Formats: sequence, C-alpha cells, structure tokens
Amino acid sequence: MEIIEWIKLIVGGALLLCGLSIFLIELYGIFHLDYVLNRMHAAAMGDTLGISFSLVGLMIFSGFNFTTLKMALIVIFLWFASPVSSHMLARLEVTTNENLKEHCKVYSELEELEKELKENRTNTEAGGENI
Amino acid sequence: MQVAENMTMLDKIYHGMYITILILLALMLFACLIRAIKGPRIADRIVAVNMMGTMVMVMIAVLSLLLKEGFLVDICLIYAMVSFLAVVVISKVYMGVYREKEQEGKREQKKAQEEGGAVGGNH
Repeated sequence: MEIIEWIKLIVGGALLLCGLSIFLIELYGIFHLDYVLNRMHAAAMGDTLGISFSLVGLMIFSGFNFTTLKMALIVIFLWFASPVSSHMLARLEVTTNENLKEHCKVYSELEELEKELKENRTNTEAGGENI
Repeated sequence: MQVAENMTMLDKIYHGMYITILILLALMLFACLIRAIKGPRIADRIVAVNMMGTMVMVMIAVLSLLLKEGFLVDICLIYAMVSFLAVVVISKVYMGVYREKEQEGKREQKKAQEEGGAVGGNH
C-alpha cells in the first residue's frame, strides 16, 4: 500500500505544479499585454485551466470523499461563471471607453465585419491554390 | 499545524509541499495586487481582483487539506460564488453610472445650446 501513496503524491504534486505554472503564465500575461481586452484573455486562462489543474491535484491527495466532490463542484461552477464574468467585463470596457478605436478596430455594422471576413476567406483560398 | 515528531516521511513531504505552495501563491497574490493598484482603467482592476479571488480559492483548498478540515472547501465554494457575483454587480453598476452621467451631460449641452440660441435671437 505504501507504493500507492507515493504514486498519489507524485501525480498530485505534478498536477499541482502544472496549476501553479499556469498561474505564473497568467501573471506574466497580465503584466506583458497592454490593453484590458488582451489582458482578459490571460486572466480567463487561470480561472478555468489553472484552478482545474490545482484542484484535480488536491482531489487526488484527498482521496475519495465529500471534499473531493465539493472541489469538483467548484471547478464546474467556475467553468460556467468565468465566461459570464469575462463577457460582463468586456461589455463594461466597450461601453465606457471613449477612444476604443485606438486599441482595436470597431465595426458599427455587423454586415461590414461579415463582408470583410468573406473577403479574407476568399483571399486565403486563392493564396492556398497558388502555393 | 504543529510538526509532530512521530510523523512519517510521507507526511513530512506533504506538509512541506503545502507550505511551499501557500508561500508561492501568496507571492503571486502580491503581484496581482500590484496590477490592481497600477491598472489604468477600472476593468483592469476588476480583472486583477477576479484573478486574486481565483488564487485565494486555491489557497483555501490547500489549507483545508493542510489542516484536515473538510468544511473549509465549503467556504471556498461560497467564495467562488461571491466573487462571481461581485464582478457582475460591479460592472453593471459602473455601466449604469456611466450611462447616467452621459445622459446628464447631453441634457446640459442641449440646455446650453437652447439658451445660447435664445440669446442670439433676442439680439
């Protein structure tokens, strides 16, 4: 039985380390990128992947009991909550920023965006045939 | 938790690992706090605070295993819900306040224009 305990330690520790490194990458992204809508991308990574890795590692440590179930519940809750809060934050930024056009391209009509996307697609297809 | 003398090798490793992870997470939390203070816009600050919430959740979960107290995970779950609610409510309130201010500004502008036009007509 001793060997199973050691395997648990190694697997759980590796997963926990993965989670911590994801948090580190998230932190690097937060300081490296220079606009909120870009930073949000880095921040959302830790909310889902980072905490999932960490809590799965902790679940392996705690074994099969109610604590594990609660941790799984936290992960599942965050999977639903994190996109919603990111969406709210993006809406907040887009509504309150008066010079948004300096940071990214703004389409006032949806048709313009669709048109440009279609043009891009046809261009890449033509380029692919040439190569 | 006190380090007992009759702990096995495995327990010592677990104890040291939990303490190390807690220290690392605390350092990262301070970096997040710097971002929250520096952040030029309000959304930056909310993103940083949300990130801090996520890290605190992992800290509480580690603490619950370190102290062997299962109920701490419940607190972690409630923390997740409260931080989600906080983000949604703060962003909604801030948007509402911004729109109100915008409308007020427009109304004042209109009033000033009308007054200016009236004055111009009298002359």
